[in-house]
Amino acid sequence: MSVKTENLGPAFKPDDTPKEIYGPDGKPQFFDDPGMDRYVAVVMNMAQEMWVQEERLMALEGLKASEADREAKLKEFIDRIFAPLREQGSDDI
Amino acid sequence: MGVELQHPMKPELTAEEAARGRFVSGIRAFILNDLAGDLRTAYDKRAAPAFARDKGRPPETSNEAHQALRGDPAFNIYSAMRVQAQKMVWHASGDVVARDIERLEAEAVRVAGQPGSVKLNSDLDIPRNVDAIEVHLMPGSYTRGGESLEAGAVYDQGLAVFSMGLMGANLDDIGLSMAAYVKGKFPDFKPQNILDTGCTIGHNTLPWKQTYPDAKVEAIDAAAGGLRYASARAKMQGQDVNFAQMSADALDYPDDSFDLVFSSMFLHELSKKARAAAFKEAYRVLKPGGLLLHMELPPNDQMNAFDGFYLDWDSWYNSEPFYKGYRDESPPALCEAGGFGADDYFQFVVPSVGIYGEEAVEQAIADEGAHAVDSETTGRLAEGIMWFGFGAWKR
Repeated sequence: MSVKTENLGPAFKPDDTPKEIYGPDGKPQFFDDPGMDRYVAVVMNMAQEMWVQEERLMALEGLKASEADREAKLKEFIDRIFAPLREQGSDDI
Repeated sequence: MGVELQHPMKPELTAEEAARGRFVSGIRAFILNDLAGDLRTAYDKRAAPAFARDKGRPPETSNEAHQALRGDPAFNIYSAMRVQAQKMVWHASGDVVARDIERLEAEAVRVAGQPGSVKLNSDLDIPRNVDAIEVHLMPGSYTRGGESLEAGAVYDQGLAVFSMGLMGANLDDIGLSMAAYVKGKFPDFKPQNILDTGCTIGHNTLPWKQTYPDAKVEAIDAAAGGLRYASARAKMQGQDVNFAQMSADALDYPDDSFDLVFSSMFLHELSKKARAAAFKEAYRVLKPGGLLLHMELPPNDQMNAFDGFYLDWDSWYNSEPFYKGYRDESPPALCEAGGFGADDYFQFVVPSVGIYGEEAVEQAIADEGAHAVDSETTGRLAEGIMWFGFGAWKR
Protein backbone atom coordinates (compact mmCIF):
# COMPACT_ATOMS: atom_id res chain seq x y z
CA MET A 1 0.00 0.00 0.00
CA SER A 2 1.30 3.43 -0.86
CA VAL A 3 1.52 5.77 2.10
CA LYS A 4 2.28 9.44 1.48
CA THR A 5 3.53 11.33 4.47
CA GLU A 6 4.81 14.86 4.66
CA ASN A 7 8.59 14.79 4.45
CA LEU A 8 10.86 17.72 3.83
CA GLY A 9 13.78 15.56 2.69
CA PRO A 10 17.40 16.40 3.46
CA ALA A 11 18.35 19.37 5.62
CA PHE A 12 20.40 20.92 2.80
CA LYS A 13 18.72 21.24 -0.57
CA PRO A 14 18.19 23.88 -3.27
CA ASP A 15 15.89 26.77 -2.34
CA ASP A 16 13.50 25.92 -5.17
CA THR A 17 13.05 22.24 -4.29
CA PRO A 18 9.63 20.94 -5.40
CA LYS A 19 7.40 19.39 -2.75
CA GLU A 20 6.80 15.65 -2.68
CA ILE A 21 10.03 14.50 -4.28
CA TYR A 22 11.21 12.81 -1.09
CA GLY A 23 9.60 9.71 0.36
CA PRO A 24 8.53 8.86 3.90
CA ASP A 25 12.15 8.01 4.76
CA GLY A 26 13.37 11.42 3.60
CA LYS A 27 15.15 9.84 0.60
CA PRO A 28 14.30 10.56 -3.05
CA GLN A 29 11.13 8.78 -4.14
CA PHE A 30 10.43 8.22 -7.83
CA PHE A 31 7.71 5.59 -8.07
CA ASP A 32 4.22 6.01 -6.57
CA ASP A 33 4.93 3.11 -4.26
CA PRO A 34 8.22 3.72 -2.40
CA GLY A 35 8.66 -0.06 -2.26
CA MET A 36 9.36 0.08 -6.00
CA ASP A 37 12.40 2.31 -5.50
CA ARG A 38 13.82 -0.29 -3.12
CA TYR A 39 12.96 -3.11 -5.46
CA VAL A 40 14.96 -1.50 -8.27
CA ALA A 41 17.96 -1.46 -5.90
CA VAL A 42 17.47 -5.16 -5.11
CA VAL A 43 17.43 -6.09 -8.79
CA MET A 44 20.64 -4.14 -9.37
CA ASN A 45 22.32 -5.78 -6.38
CA MET A 46 21.28 -9.20 -7.66
CA ALA A 47 22.66 -8.48 -11.11
CA GLN A 48 25.95 -7.41 -9.51
CA GLU A 49 26.16 -10.65 -7.50
CA MET A 50 25.47 -12.63 -10.67
CA TRP A 51 28.24 -10.81 -12.50
CA VAL A 52 30.70 -11.51 -9.68
CA GLN A 53 29.82 -15.21 -9.98
CA GLU A 54 30.18 -14.99 -13.76
CA GLU A 55 33.73 -13.67 -13.42
CA ARG A 56 34.49 -16.33 -10.82
CA LEU A 57 33.29 -19.03 -13.23
CA MET A 58 35.38 -17.58 -16.03
CA ALA A 59 38.41 -17.80 -13.74
CA LEU A 60 37.61 -21.36 -12.64
CA GLU A 61 37.17 -22.45 -16.23
CA GLY A 62 40.57 -20.97 -16.95
CA LEU A 63 39.21 -18.58 -19.56
CA LYS A 64 41.78 -15.90 -20.20
CA ALA A 65 39.50 -13.20 -21.51
CA SER A 66 41.13 -9.99 -22.64
CA GLU A 67 40.00 -6.75 -20.98
CA ALA A 68 38.06 -5.83 -24.12
CA ASP A 69 36.36 -9.25 -24.27
CA ARG A 70 35.32 -8.99 -20.65
CA GLU A 71 33.95 -5.48 -21.14
CA ALA A 72 31.96 -6.66 -24.16
CA LYS A 73 30.60 -9.59 -22.18
CA LEU A 74 29.60 -7.32 -19.31
CA LYS A 75 27.83 -4.94 -21.66
CA GLU A 76 25.92 -7.84 -23.20
CA PHE A 77 25.06 -9.16 -19.73
CA ILE A 78 23.68 -5.78 -18.58
CA ASP A 79 21.84 -5.10 -21.85
CA ARG A 80 20.14 -8.51 -21.66
CA ILE A 81 19.01 -8.22 -18.04
CA PHE A 82 17.79 -4.64 -18.22
CA ALA A 83 16.34 -4.72 -21.77
CA PRO A 84 12.72 -4.56 -20.50
CA LEU A 85 13.42 -1.10 -19.09
CA ARG A 86 14.33 0.38 -22.44
CA GLU A 87 11.96 2.88 -23.97
CA GLN A 88 11.53 1.02 -27.27
CA GLY A 89 11.69 -2.49 -25.80
CA SER A 90 9.08 -1.99 -23.12
CA ASP A 91 6.16 -3.05 -25.34
CA ASP A 92 7.82 -6.30 -26.37
CA ILE A 93 7.98 -7.90 -22.93
CA MET B 1 34.71 1.10 -19.32
CA GLY B 2 36.07 0.49 -15.84
CA VAL B 3 39.39 1.98 -14.92
CA GLU B 4 42.22 0.61 -12.87
CA LEU B 5 44.19 3.39 -11.23
CA GLN B 6 47.76 3.50 -12.50
CA HIS B 7 49.56 5.23 -9.64
CA PRO B 8 51.27 3.26 -6.84
CA MET B 9 48.91 4.58 -4.12
CA LYS B 10 45.99 2.71 -5.67
CA PRO B 11 44.27 0.10 -3.51
CA GLU B 12 45.06 -3.49 -4.42
CA LEU B 13 41.88 -5.20 -5.59
CA THR B 14 40.93 -8.82 -5.07
CA ALA B 15 39.37 -10.56 -8.08
CA GLU B 16 35.93 -10.21 -6.50
CA GLU B 17 36.39 -6.50 -5.73
CA ALA B 18 37.52 -5.86 -9.29
CA ALA B 19 34.43 -7.68 -10.60
CA ARG B 20 32.14 -5.63 -8.34
CA GLY B 21 33.74 -2.39 -9.45
CA ARG B 22 33.54 -3.38 -13.10
CA PHE B 23 29.83 -4.11 -12.76
CA VAL B 24 29.18 -0.70 -11.18
CA SER B 25 31.06 1.08 -13.99
CA GLY B 26 29.11 -1.01 -16.50
CA ILE B 27 25.71 -0.31 -15.02
CA ARG B 28 26.56 3.40 -14.81
CA ALA B 29 27.50 3.39 -18.48
CA PHE B 30 24.14 1.76 -19.25
CA ILE B 31 22.26 4.37 -17.19
CA LEU B 32 24.21 7.41 -18.38
CA ASN B 33 24.22 6.48 -22.07
CA ASP B 34 21.26 4.18 -22.83
CA LEU B 35 18.74 5.22 -20.18
CA ALA B 36 19.76 8.87 -20.54
CA GLY B 37 18.91 8.54 -24.25
CA ASP B 38 15.53 7.07 -23.32
CA LEU B 39 14.98 9.96 -20.93
CA ARG B 40 15.51 12.42 -23.77
CA THR B 41 13.12 10.43 -26.00
CA ALA B 42 10.49 10.38 -23.25
CA TYR B 43 10.91 14.11 -22.73
CA ASP B 44 10.42 14.89 -26.42
CA LYS B 45 7.65 12.35 -26.94
CA ARG B 46 5.62 12.64 -23.74
CA ALA B 47 6.83 14.96 -21.01
CA ALA B 48 7.42 18.21 -22.92
CA PRO B 49 4.24 17.88 -25.07
CA ALA B 50 2.14 17.20 -21.93
CA PHE B 51 3.66 20.26 -20.27
CA ALA B 52 2.94 22.31 -23.40
CA ARG B 53 -0.68 21.14 -23.52
CA ASP B 54 -1.11 22.23 -19.93
CA LYS B 55 0.77 25.57 -20.03
CA GLY B 56 0.43 26.56 -23.67
CA ARG B 57 4.23 26.58 -24.14
CA PRO B 58 7.13 24.14 -23.81
CA PRO B 59 9.27 23.96 -20.65
CA GLU B 60 11.67 26.89 -20.60
CA THR B 61 13.74 26.33 -17.50
CA SER B 62 15.51 23.51 -15.71
CA ASN B 63 12.78 23.55 -13.03
CA GLU B 64 10.08 23.27 -15.69
CA ALA B 65 11.86 20.36 -17.37
CA HIS B 66 12.02 18.70 -13.94
CA GLN B 67 8.31 19.34 -13.41
CA ALA B 68 7.52 17.90 -16.84
CA LEU B 69 9.56 14.74 -16.24
CA ARG B 70 8.49 13.92 -12.69
CA GLY B 71 6.36 10.78 -12.78
CA ASP B 72 7.36 9.73 -16.32
CA PRO B 73 8.34 6.04 -16.35
CA ALA B 74 11.64 6.76 -18.13
CA PHE B 75 12.50 9.41 -15.54
CA ASN B 76 11.58 7.10 -12.67
CA ILE B 77 13.72 4.21 -13.81
CA TYR B 78 16.68 6.38 -14.85
CA SER B 79 16.60 8.15 -11.50
CA ALA B 80 16.04 5.16 -9.22
CA MET B 81 18.87 3.29 -10.94
CA ARG B 82 21.24 6.25 -10.82
CA VAL B 83 20.69 6.65 -7.09
CA GLN B 84 21.38 2.97 -6.45
CA ALA B 85 24.40 2.93 -8.77
CA GLN B 86 25.84 5.85 -6.79
CA LYS B 87 25.42 3.94 -3.54
CA MET B 88 27.10 0.94 -5.18
CA VAL B 89 30.10 3.11 -6.12
CA TRP B 90 30.82 3.96 -2.48
CA HIS B 91 30.05 0.45 -1.28
CA ALA B 92 32.56 -1.00 -3.72
CA SER B 93 35.31 1.46 -2.83
CA GLY B 94 34.56 1.48 0.93
CA ASP B 95 34.99 -2.29 1.20
CA VAL B 96 38.28 -2.19 -0.68
CA VAL B 97 39.72 0.60 1.44
CA ALA B 98 38.58 -0.95 4.75
CA ARG B 99 40.62 -4.02 3.88
CA ASP B 100 43.61 -2.22 2.40
CA ILE B 101 43.98 0.87 4.60
CA GLU B 102 46.89 -0.32 6.74
CA ARG B 103 48.97 -1.13 3.69
CA LEU B 104 48.15 2.32 2.24
CA GLU B 105 49.26 4.02 5.47
CA ALA B 106 52.53 2.06 5.36
CA GLU B 107 53.09 3.04 1.71
CA ALA B 108 52.55 6.68 2.62
CA VAL B 109 55.17 6.48 5.40
CA ARG B 110 57.64 5.04 2.93
CA VAL B 111 57.50 8.10 0.64
CA ALA B 112 57.23 10.71 3.41
CA GLY B 113 60.77 12.00 2.72
CA GLN B 114 60.19 12.67 -1.00
CA PRO B 115 59.94 16.26 -2.33
CA GLY B 116 56.62 17.92 -1.54
CA SER B 117 54.78 18.63 1.68
CA VAL B 118 51.48 18.61 3.50
CA LYS B 119 50.56 21.11 6.21
CA LEU B 120 47.45 20.46 8.29
CA ASN B 121 45.61 23.00 10.43
CA SER B 122 43.61 21.39 13.20
CA ASP B 123 42.20 24.79 14.20
CA LEU B 124 40.47 25.24 10.84
CA ASP B 125 36.73 25.58 11.16
CA ILE B 126 35.58 22.89 8.69
CA PRO B 127 32.80 24.25 6.46
CA ARG B 128 29.50 22.38 6.70
CA ASN B 129 29.57 21.53 2.98
CA VAL B 130 32.73 19.51 3.65
CA ASP B 131 31.64 17.43 6.63
CA ALA B 132 27.91 17.87 7.37
CA ILE B 133 26.58 16.76 3.99
CA GLU B 134 27.23 13.36 2.46
CA VAL B 135 28.23 14.99 -0.83
CA HIS B 136 27.31 12.86 -3.86
CA LEU B 137 25.98 10.27 -1.37
CA MET B 138 29.54 9.60 -0.16
CA PRO B 139 29.20 8.07 3.33
CA GLY B 140 31.05 10.15 5.92
CA SER B 141 31.74 12.82 3.30
CA TYR B 142 35.23 14.33 2.95
CA THR B 143 36.04 14.01 6.65
CA ARG B 144 35.43 10.27 6.92
CA GLY B 145 38.18 8.71 9.02
CA GLY B 146 39.53 12.06 10.25
CA GLU B 147 43.18 12.53 9.35
CA SER B 148 43.60 8.92 8.24
CA LEU B 149 43.99 8.16 4.54
CA GLU B 150 40.51 6.63 4.43
CA ALA B 151 38.51 9.50 2.90
CA GLY B 152 41.11 10.08 0.18
CA ALA B 153 41.41 6.41 -0.67
CA VAL B 154 37.63 5.97 -0.81
CA TYR B 155 37.33 9.02 -3.04
CA ASP B 156 40.12 7.88 -5.37
CA GLN B 157 38.84 4.34 -5.78
CA GLY B 158 35.21 5.55 -5.86
CA LEU B 159 35.98 8.01 -8.64
CA ALA B 160 37.78 5.28 -10.58
CA VAL B 161 34.56 3.24 -10.57
CA PHE B 162 32.28 6.27 -11.00
CA SER B 163 34.12 7.78 -13.97
CA MET B 164 33.88 4.72 -16.27
CA GLY B 165 37.30 5.60 -17.64
CA LEU B 166 36.14 9.03 -18.80
CA MET B 167 38.33 10.93 -16.34
CA GLY B 168 41.61 9.30 -17.30
CA ALA B 169 43.63 6.47 -15.80
CA ASN B 170 44.70 8.64 -12.87
CA LEU B 171 41.50 10.72 -12.81
CA ASP B 172 43.49 13.66 -14.09
CA ASP B 173 41.84 14.23 -17.46
CA ILE B 174 40.15 17.46 -16.38
CA GLY B 175 43.45 18.95 -15.21
CA LEU B 176 45.33 17.68 -18.26
CA SER B 177 42.70 19.03 -20.66
CA MET B 178 42.54 22.42 -18.94
CA ALA B 179 46.33 22.73 -18.75
CA ALA B 180 46.66 21.73 -22.42
CA TYR B 181 44.11 24.38 -23.34
CA VAL B 182 45.82 27.13 -21.32
CA LYS B 183 49.28 26.23 -22.65
CA GLY B 184 48.04 26.15 -26.25
CA LYS B 185 45.84 29.19 -26.00
CA PHE B 186 48.29 31.41 -24.11
CA PRO B 187 51.77 30.26 -25.21
CA ASP B 188 53.47 33.29 -23.62
CA PHE B 189 51.88 32.65 -20.24
CA LYS B 190 54.43 30.88 -18.05
CA PRO B 191 53.10 30.65 -14.51
CA GLN B 192 55.75 30.37 -11.76
CA ASN B 193 53.34 30.04 -8.84
CA ILE B 194 50.18 27.98 -9.18
CA LEU B 195 47.40 27.43 -6.65
CA ASP B 196 44.70 24.75 -6.88
CA THR B 197 41.75 25.44 -4.57
CA GLY B 198 39.47 22.67 -3.29
CA CYS B 199 41.91 20.08 -4.60
CA THR B 200 40.48 17.00 -2.73
CA ILE B 201 43.15 14.35 -3.50
CA GLY B 202 45.13 16.53 -5.91
CA HIS B 203 44.14 14.42 -8.92
CA ASN B 204 43.71 17.52 -11.10
CA THR B 205 46.53 19.44 -9.40
CA LEU B 206 49.32 17.22 -10.71
CA PRO B 207 48.71 18.02 -14.39
CA TRP B 208 49.73 21.64 -13.71
CA LYS B 209 53.07 20.50 -12.32
CA GLN B 210 53.48 18.20 -15.33
CA THR B 211 52.58 20.98 -17.78
CA TYR B 212 54.69 23.67 -16.05
CA PRO B 213 57.48 21.66 -14.34
CA ASP B 214 59.36 24.78 -13.19
CA ALA B 215 56.35 26.19 -11.35
CA LYS B 216 55.87 25.99 -7.59
CA VAL B 217 52.51 24.32 -7.14
CA GLU B 218 50.37 24.71 -4.02
CA ALA B 219 47.04 23.01 -3.43
CA ILE B 220 44.55 23.58 -0.65
CA ASP B 221 41.47 21.86 0.70
CA ALA B 222 39.51 22.02 3.95
CA ALA B 223 39.60 18.25 4.60
CA ALA B 224 42.76 16.89 6.27
CA GLY B 225 42.51 13.20 5.35
CA GLY B 226 42.17 13.90 1.64
CA LEU B 227 45.24 16.16 1.75
CA ARG B 228 47.42 13.55 3.46
CA TYR B 229 46.34 11.11 0.79
CA ALA B 230 46.91 13.71 -1.95
CA SER B 231 50.45 14.35 -0.75
CA ALA B 232 51.38 10.66 -0.61
CA ARG B 233 49.76 10.13 -4.01
CA ALA B 234 51.75 13.05 -5.50
CA LYS B 235 55.04 11.90 -3.97
CA MET B 236 54.59 8.40 -5.34
CA GLN B 237 54.26 9.90 -8.79
CA GLY B 238 57.37 12.02 -8.26
CA GLN B 239 55.41 15.28 -8.26
CA ASP B 240 56.64 18.03 -5.95
CA VAL B 241 53.48 19.75 -4.70
CA ASN B 242 52.78 21.53 -1.41
CA PHE B 243 49.38 20.73 0.08
CA ALA B 244 47.84 22.81 2.87
CA GLN B 245 44.61 22.63 4.85
CA MET B 246 42.77 25.85 4.15
CA SER B 247 39.41 27.15 2.98
CA ALA B 248 39.22 28.81 -0.42
CA ASP B 249 37.14 31.62 1.03
CA ALA B 250 39.87 32.56 3.56
CA LEU B 251 43.26 31.91 1.97
CA ASP B 252 46.32 32.11 4.17
CA TYR B 253 48.50 33.67 1.46
CA PRO B 254 49.67 37.27 1.00
CA ASP B 255 48.22 39.46 -1.77
CA ASP B 256 49.72 39.03 -5.26
CA SER B 257 51.16 35.53 -4.61
CA PHE B 258 50.13 33.49 -7.66
CA ASP B 259 50.21 33.58 -11.45
CA LEU B 260 47.40 31.04 -11.74
CA VAL B 261 44.53 30.17 -9.42
CA PHE B 262 42.66 27.06 -10.51
CA SER B 263 39.81 24.85 -9.38
CA SER B 264 37.94 21.92 -10.86
CA MET B 265 34.46 20.67 -10.03
CA PHE B 266 34.69 22.74 -6.85
CA LEU B 267 32.52 25.85 -7.01
CA HIS B 268 29.27 23.86 -7.16
CA GLU B 269 30.01 22.35 -3.76
CA LEU B 270 30.21 25.74 -2.02
CA SER B 271 27.41 27.79 -0.52
CA LYS B 272 26.64 30.97 -2.43
CA LYS B 273 28.31 33.07 0.27
CA ALA B 274 31.49 30.96 0.35
CA ARG B 275 31.63 30.96 -3.45
CA ALA B 276 31.47 34.76 -3.67
CA ALA B 277 34.21 35.00 -1.04
CA ALA B 278 36.36 32.47 -2.93
CA PHE B 279 36.28 34.65 -6.07
CA LYS B 280 37.39 37.70 -4.04
CA GLU B 281 40.15 35.70 -2.39
CA ALA B 282 41.36 34.37 -5.75
CA TYR B 283 41.50 37.93 -7.06
CA ARG B 284 43.42 39.09 -3.97
CA VAL B 285 46.11 36.39 -4.12
CA LEU B 286 46.59 36.65 -7.91
CA LYS B 287 49.43 38.83 -9.15
CA PRO B 288 48.55 41.49 -11.71
CA GLY B 289 48.66 39.68 -15.05
CA GLY B 290 47.63 36.46 -13.31
CA LEU B 291 44.95 34.08 -14.47
CA LEU B 292 41.88 32.72 -12.71
CA LEU B 293 40.70 29.44 -14.23
CA HIS B 294 37.79 27.29 -13.15
CA MET B 295 36.66 24.00 -14.65
CA GLU B 296 32.99 23.58 -13.85
CA LEU B 297 29.57 22.52 -15.00
CA PRO B 298 28.15 24.82 -17.63
CA PRO B 299 25.60 27.37 -16.38
CA ASN B 300 21.84 27.13 -16.85
CA ASP B 301 21.57 30.50 -18.62
CA GLN B 302 23.60 29.08 -21.52
CA MET B 303 21.70 25.79 -21.82
CA ASN B 304 18.29 24.59 -22.92
CA ALA B 305 15.78 23.43 -20.30
CA PHE B 306 16.33 19.69 -20.73
CA ASP B 307 20.14 19.66 -20.76
CA GLY B 308 20.16 22.14 -17.87
CA PHE B 309 17.91 19.92 -15.80
CA TYR B 310 19.85 16.80 -16.78
CA LEU B 311 22.80 18.27 -14.88
CA ASP B 312 20.71 19.80 -12.08
CA TRP B 313 19.29 16.33 -11.30
CA ASP B 314 22.22 15.79 -8.93
CA SER B 315 21.15 18.67 -6.75
CA TRP B 316 18.03 16.86 -5.54
CA TYR B 317 18.88 13.24 -6.00
CA ASN B 318 22.64 12.99 -5.52
CA SER B 319 23.06 15.10 -2.38
CA GLU B 320 24.59 18.10 -4.15
CA PRO B 321 22.54 20.83 -2.45
CA PHE B 322 24.52 23.79 -3.86
CA TYR B 323 24.84 22.43 -7.40
CA LYS B 324 21.74 24.06 -8.87
CA GLY B 325 22.28 27.34 -7.03
CA TYR B 326 25.72 27.42 -8.60
CA ARG B 327 24.45 26.56 -12.08
CA ASP B 328 21.84 29.30 -11.79
CA GLU B 329 24.61 31.84 -11.30
CA SER B 330 26.42 33.44 -14.22
CA PRO B 331 30.18 32.78 -14.50
CA PRO B 332 30.96 36.24 -15.93
CA ALA B 333 28.96 37.88 -13.13
CA LEU B 334 30.79 35.80 -10.50
CA CYS B 335 34.17 36.90 -11.88
CA GLU B 336 33.10 40.51 -12.03
CA ALA B 337 31.77 40.48 -8.47
CA GLY B 338 35.13 39.01 -7.42
CA GLY B 339 36.94 42.06 -8.77
CA PHE B 340 37.81 41.03 -12.33
CA GLY B 341 37.08 43.34 -15.25
CA ALA B 342 34.06 42.40 -17.41
CA ASP B 343 36.23 42.50 -20.55
CA ASP B 344 38.79 40.15 -19.01
CA TYR B 345 36.36 37.22 -18.80
CA PHE B 346 36.59 34.26 -21.19
CA GLN B 347 35.10 30.78 -21.42
CA PHE B 348 35.59 27.69 -23.54
CA VAL B 349 34.55 24.10 -24.14
CA VAL B 350 37.50 21.75 -24.49
CA PRO B 351 37.41 18.09 -25.59
CA SER B 352 38.83 15.58 -23.14
CA VAL B 353 42.52 15.33 -24.07
CA GLY B 354 42.64 11.72 -22.92
CA ILE B 355 39.84 10.61 -25.22
CA TYR B 356 40.23 12.87 -28.23
CA GLY B 357 43.94 13.67 -28.11
CA GLU B 358 46.00 16.83 -28.27
CA GLU B 359 45.00 17.68 -31.84
CA ALA B 360 41.37 17.97 -30.74
CA VAL B 361 42.40 20.45 -28.03
CA GLU B 362 44.43 22.41 -30.61
CA GLN B 363 41.41 22.47 -32.91
CA ALA B 364 39.19 23.75 -30.10
CA ILE B 365 41.70 26.56 -29.55
CA ALA B 366 41.82 27.37 -33.26
CA ASP B 367 38.04 27.38 -33.62
CA GLU B 368 36.36 28.76 -30.50
CA GLY B 369 32.92 28.04 -31.92
CA ALA B 370 33.64 24.36 -32.55
CA HIS B 371 31.94 23.08 -29.39
CA ALA B 372 28.77 24.68 -28.08
CA VAL B 373 28.08 25.10 -24.39
CA ASP B 374 24.44 24.30 -25.03
CA SER B 375 24.99 20.68 -25.90
CA GLU B 376 24.23 17.37 -24.25
CA THR B 377 27.93 16.49 -24.24
CA THR B 378 29.14 19.57 -22.33
CA GLY B 379 29.82 18.70 -18.71
CA ARG B 380 28.00 15.41 -18.96
CA LEU B 381 29.88 12.30 -17.90
CA ALA B 382 28.94 10.06 -20.83
CA GLU B 383 30.16 9.23 -24.31
CA GLY B 384 31.34 12.38 -26.08
CA ILE B 385 32.39 14.22 -22.91
CA MET B 386 33.49 17.87 -23.22
CA TRP B 387 34.75 20.01 -20.34
CA PHE B 388 33.58 23.57 -19.67
CA GLY B 389 36.07 26.12 -18.39
CA PHE B 390 36.00 29.83 -17.68
CA GLY B 391 38.19 32.43 -16.14
CA ALA B 392 39.53 35.97 -16.16
CA TRP B 393 42.82 37.84 -16.16
CA LYS B 394 43.71 40.15 -13.31
CA ARG B 395 44.90 43.44 -14.74
